[in-house]
Amino acid sequence: MEAGSSDAVVVARVLRGDVEAFRSLVEQYRDRYARYAFHMLGNREDAEEALQDAFVRAYRSLARCEDPERFGAWLFRILVNRCRTLGARRGRRARTFVVDEVALLGAAEEHPAATTAWREEIDRALQQLRGDQREAFLLKYVEEMGYDEMSQLTGVGVSALKMRVMRACERLRELLSEVYDA
Amino acid sequence: MRDETEQHIEQIARELRAPVSIGRELDARVMRAVRRLPRHARFGLWSRLITPRTVTVTPLVWGMLAAAVAAFAVLGAMHAGADLDRAAKPIARAFFPRPQTPAQSQRVQFVLVAPDAKKVAVVGDFNGWDASHAAYQAQHRGGGVWSVTAPVPLGHHRYSFVVDDSLWVADPTAPRVTDYDYGMPNSAIVVQEQK
Repeated sequence: MEAGSSDAVVVARVLRGDVEAFRSLVEQYRDRYARYAFHMLGNREDAEEALQDAFVRAYRSLARCEDPERFGAWLFRILVNRCRTLGARRGRRARTFVVDEVALLGAAEEHPAATTAWREEIDRALQQLRGDQREAFLLKYVEEMGYDEMSQLTGVGVSALKMRVMRACERLRELLSEVYDA
Repeated sequence: MRDETEQHIEQIARELRAPVSIGRELDARVMRAVRRLPRHARFGLWSRLITPRTVTVTPLVWGMLAAAVAAFAVLGAMHAGADLDRAAKPIARAFFPRPQTPAQSQRVQFVLVAPDAKKVAVVGDFNGWDASHAAYQAQHRGGGVWSVTAPVPLGHHRYSFVVDDSLWVADPTAPRVTDYDYGMPNSAIVVQEQK
C-alpha cells in the first residue's frame, strides 16, 4: 500500500513549502483509494467528497505525519475515518442507485453485459450491510489486509473485526442467495 | 457448505477488487483547496529543533539526569545564595515576558448551543483550521451552551465550529460564506480595531 521513500521525498518537498508537489501524491493515491471510498459510501459523489476531504486534511496535517515513507497508509487511515463520518452523516439519506454508476466509474469495460447485473447485485447487497461490517469486509477481502493491520487502522480489536467480517459474509450470502440459486 | 460460502465470498471480493477510477478533476479541486491553506514552511536545522519528536530514554539515563539536576541545585544554592534571586529576575523577565495579545488582534467570544456535544472547538483561517488548537477549545457553560473567548487578528475571516472532532457546524448567529470550504459550512466574521 506504500510507495516508500519516494513518498517521503514528496512529503518533505511539500513541508518545505512546495504546494504543487502535493499533486503527485493526489495522482498516485486518487484511484488506488477511490475503490474503497466508492464501495464504502455507495456512490461516486460521496466517494469523491470523502477522497477530496481526506487529501485536504492530509495536506493540512502533513507535519504530523510521523512516518512519511508510509504516507499512503496514513492517508488511508484518514480516508477510512472520513468515510465513517460521511457514512454516518448521510446514513439516513435515501440513496438512489444509478444503474450506470459502475459504467460512469469506468469499470464497466472490464465487466461485460452478462456480468453487469451480477455486479449491481453485489453493490446493492454491500450497501445493505451495516457500516462497521461493510468496512471490515472491504478491508479484509477487497483491500486484502490482515487482521492486525485492520486493527491498527480502525482501532477495533481483532476478535471484534473477525466477528464483523463473519457477519458480513453471512449477510452477503443471504442477500445474494437468489442470485446464486439462479 | 463452508467451502461453497468461501467460494462465493471470494467471487464477490474479486468483483469488488476491480479498479475504480475517479476523474482527474478531483486533482484540480484538491489542489485548489490546498493552495488556499497556509503553506508549509519547514526548513532544515530550524525545523529539526522545533519539530516535536519521541525520545526514548532508559531508566539509567533518567537516574543520571536526576543526579545532575540535584547536584546543580545544591552547588547553585551554595555559591549564589541570596544573590541568586536578584540575579535571576531580570533574566526570567527577558526570557519569559508576560504574554500579551498582539495589538493587531481582538478577543472575540464564540458561542454555540450544542446540548449533545461532548467537545466543541472553533476552527478558522486564523488558527490554521486546527481543531486541536488549545486557545480555541470551547468550555461548556451549562444548559448546552459552549463558548470560548480567543484572539482573532483584525480583518475578514472564515470560521466554523467542530463538534466532537467530526461534525462541522456553521455559527447560526453569523453570516454564511457563500464559497463553501471543501463542502463544509463556514461563517464569516469581520474583526475591527476597538475604538
